[in-house]
Amino acid sequence: MVSIRTEDLTKVFGEVVAVDHVNLEIKHGEFFTLLGPSGCGKTTFLRCIAGLELPEEGRIFFDDQDVTEVPPHLRNAGMVFQNYALWPHMSVFDNIAYGLKIRKVPKDEIERRVKEVLKLVKLEGLENRTPHQLSGGQQQRVALARALVINPKVLLFDEPLSNLDAKLRVEMRAELKKLQRDLGITAIYVTHDQEEAMSISDRIAVMNRGKIMQVGTPKEIYKNPRNEFVARFIGQGTFLEGEVIGSEKDLLKVRLKTNDKEILATSSHPSLDISQGDRVLVMIRPESFTLEPKEGYNMFDVQVYHISFLGDSQMIQAVAWDEEFIIELDPDVEVKVGDKLRVYSSPWHTLALKL
Amino acid sequence: MGKATTGLPGLLRRVKWEMDTFSWIQLLIVLVSFTAFLIIPLLSVIVRSFYSSGGFSLYWIQAILTDPFYFPLRLRLTEQFPFISLEGIKGSLYEVIRYQTARGEETIVYLMGWDMGVLVNSLLVATFTTLFSTLLGFALAFIFAKYRFPGSEILRIVTLVPLLSTPFVGAIGLKKMIVADGVLNVLFHDILGIIPFKIEITGLPAVVMVQTLLFYPIVMLNAYTALISIDPSLEEQAINMGASGFKLFRTVTLPLATPGVEAGALLVFILSLEDLGTPIVFKGTTAEKVLTFQIFNRIFTPAGLISQEATTLAMILLVISGLVFVAVRRYVSLKRYAMLGKGGIWRPRRKKLSIKTTILVYMFVFVVLFFATLPHIGVALLAFAKQWGPTLLPSSFTLDNFIAVFTDEEASRTIMNSIVYSSIATGFMIVLGVSAAYLVSRKKGLPGIETLDLLVTIPIAVPGIAVATGLFLTYLGTPLSPTISGAPLLIASYTIRKIPFTVRAVYSGLEQTDKELDEVAWTVGADRTRTFFGIVMPMILINVIAGGMLSFIYSMSEVSTGIVVGDANHRDAPMTWKMYDMLFHGLAGGTFQPAALGFMLMSLQFVFIVGANLLLRKRATALIGL
Repeated sequence: MVSIRTEDLTKVFGEVVAVDHVNLEIKHGEFFTLLGPSGCGKTTFLRCIAGLELPEEGRIFFDDQDVTEVPPHLRNAGMVFQNYALWPHMSVFDNIAYGLKIRKVPKDEIERRVKEVLKLVKLEGLENRTPHQLSGGQQQRVALARALVINPKVLLFDEPLSNLDAKLRVEMRAELKKLQRDLGITAIYVTHDQEEAMSISDRIAVMNRGKIMQVGTPKEIYKNPRNEFVARFIGQGTFLEGEVIGSEKDLLKVRLKTNDKEILATSSHPSLDISQGDRVLVMIRPESFTLEPKEGYNMFDVQVYHISFLGDSQMIQAVAWDEEFIIELDPDVEVKVGDKLRVYSSPWHTLALKL
Repeated sequence: MGKATTGLPGLLRRVKWEMDTFSWIQLLIVLVSFTAFLIIPLLSVIVRSFYSSGGFSLYWIQAILTDPFYFPLRLRLTEQFPFISLEGIKGSLYEVIRYQTARGEETIVYLMGWDMGVLVNSLLVATFTTLFSTLLGFALAFIFAKYRFPGSEILRIVTLVPLLSTPFVGAIGLKKMIVADGVLNVLFHDILGIIPFKIEITGLPAVVMVQTLLFYPIVMLNAYTALISIDPSLEEQAINMGASGFKLFRTVTLPLATPGVEAGALLVFILSLEDLGTPIVFKGTTAEKVLTFQIFNRIFTPAGLISQEATTLAMILLVISGLVFVAVRRYVSLKRYAMLGKGGIWRPRRKKLSIKTTILVYMFVFVVLFFATLPHIGVALLAFAKQWGPTLLPSSFTLDNFIAVFTDEEASRTIMNSIVYSSIATGFMIVLGVSAAYLVSRKKGLPGIETLDLLVTIPIAVPGIAVATGLFLTYLGTPLSPTISGAPLLIASYTIRKIPFTVRAVYSGLEQTDKELDEVAWTVGADRTRTFFGIVMPMILINVIAGGMLSFIYSMSEVSTGIVVGDANHRDAPMTWKMYDMLFHGLAGGTFQPAALGFMLMSLQFVFIVGANLLLRKRATALIGL
């Protein structure tokens, strides 16, 4: 178990800066996720940590040891690849045992440890199968077992669940998280699936074009996005452009661009220094809307054009002054397409971002 | 940070990261072998050509260009047409000779071709061979790629049969078919009476014919792969826009297939230029007057020295092939070839033909097949013939030729030699070829890797006789001298000349094996060396075996260095030398015993190539096609 720190980590492929001066610190035993759209450099970052890529600039530390130029086989970082990368010519047992054989572990201990890890990933009895005789989920577990059995300092996951079907994916991520917590092992997880990232991570780094956009707990990232990219990438929301025309206690007075209406909003992230005259983007999460009028709340009149009934809620798509609204309502509320709706949002949940 | 990321320090840092000790060893053994047995020999051919009376000189080049034997054409500064003096051209395209025989007058038309001097002859033979092979190969490829008719798959495979033979072996068989007393005349003149006179194809036209029949599959394979790789929707798009028939072919299909066809055609040009076997079979005619034969004939002076004239001729041959090879690389890199070979993900759409066209197509294909299989049928029949006069088939069959070959001490020794040399060479080819393929496949983007790729594919384009000349120049008088033992140079030459087959088989295997499979082994603690032997090698084993099989069989049938080295040292000669010796010096057994050797070689080749292809299954379409 280690903490991992990168300083100005930069990896360039030809003209493309895949990882651009990334500074991150991942703590002991933390489940840390890199989240971003495909091509944002998150996999490259992971491969640098594993030692599969040599960064052009910057340093990587495992605890206080500089491992930037340590070859991968000496890093003791277990990795689970997106396509599992199981060796097709070896049995499940041999796939898992390979790392132990390299370490010259005695035969009976190999046997014991492989058995143990198979039990851990719930694959007892499948030792003698070959990878192509396994289902996708089972292959996934073998890949995980192979990475776990060597007692790695850190577990690296490169979109490990993306090839599984939706239901299995949800099951597996809970299992993964539990396993990681029980073993107390530091884990870095790469995914483009924000729901997955939210449900599994202690902390998330949102990445775009090689740069870290925000680091924080899932809650922070959702509730207090630091910039437009994070706000739009994570979850859904209604986005309105405007200008700050003043402040009222802790709240910002914003004049909306489309209809000059004035609303009250809060700065989305404490680090944002928003002042009068700034152009801002106001974001309201769907669940921040309410139908009940309250003192000081912002009020919007919208017209419903689409309803998605989700069982525990219904998602309303609506328009007002050519702006698109997404509103989550209680499933019992009677509403139909074409209805005019008056909704309110708390100024504390009406978040202003710098444009 | 101040980290070295650019310039030389950055490069060195990257090289240090990518290359561990094992990779360096792999790189070094490849470089050392190629330097010692290809680069230095070829350089010495070039250097020696410009060397006379103790210093740099153009004497030998001048001597060759002014010798009418090599280059009789003279520029004449008149305004009369033709502007080039053609007086040096000897012979005529054909001659008609009438004989009085017991059966009355008989007319024989000898098709022998002009002799325009060694240089022009070589180029003309290569040009015509390329032209005919391309027309034939492309026509067949087009038929098989675009149309569907009963038996088309089987016929397509049968038309590739000529690949299973070296020109040397094929020429022995075809010669029996096209001489005045040959099978074709017996069939078409004597029996069927379709042709009112006999035709003997000899000299340079015979060389063109043999080479065309043996090389057209190379163009065909390339063209076929290119044609089925064309996304059918491209053609359908053109049809939608109103193109059809010939216009569609000329404006869409042909340009899309052109790179593949050109690569194949240029390869044929080089192979024709460097073919030594066919001229040897047709010795005593104008066929002798080509570069390869002339180099071979004077490589060794009676004084035991290397002839400077031969060296200069080898240099000229080398330069021409080199230029053609550069052209091949410009059009299609050999790597892209491999990609073409993987075919498209789409199913090629094939048209069904009307009955009338089907019959026409069958007629065309069968005529081609008839001629294409003649050399092989010829060799097979000769191998089992006791006597074969002017009749359709040998008058009686026997196994005596094989028994004679096996009981003849020298012949059986050369067979043993060939097997031993080829086996050892195959070992080297696997070690070097796997090393090179691994570096090229796994270290992409590292500076110099492209050059390594070029280095291990270039032997395809280097004329064997030039390699032989270079090896002699470099190693005569050293402990590796062929006069001491033929083995070292033959093994070295087989290894270098036939390594592209191993490299390409292994490379294709590596490309189909995800690099992540290597990487995951590193992450669980295996260093690169262990990963290579424990993970990579087992996964590509089949490709290694198949590549080794191909390299082995092509080593067995190697002609150029085999004959040259064998001539310098009969004791250590390989079986191709024995075939040459029997043919050339007209020893007892005539053509029957060399044919028996050739038949064995061909059968072995058949078994190995089919075996290798079964191992590689579909992946191998482009493999046997050089």
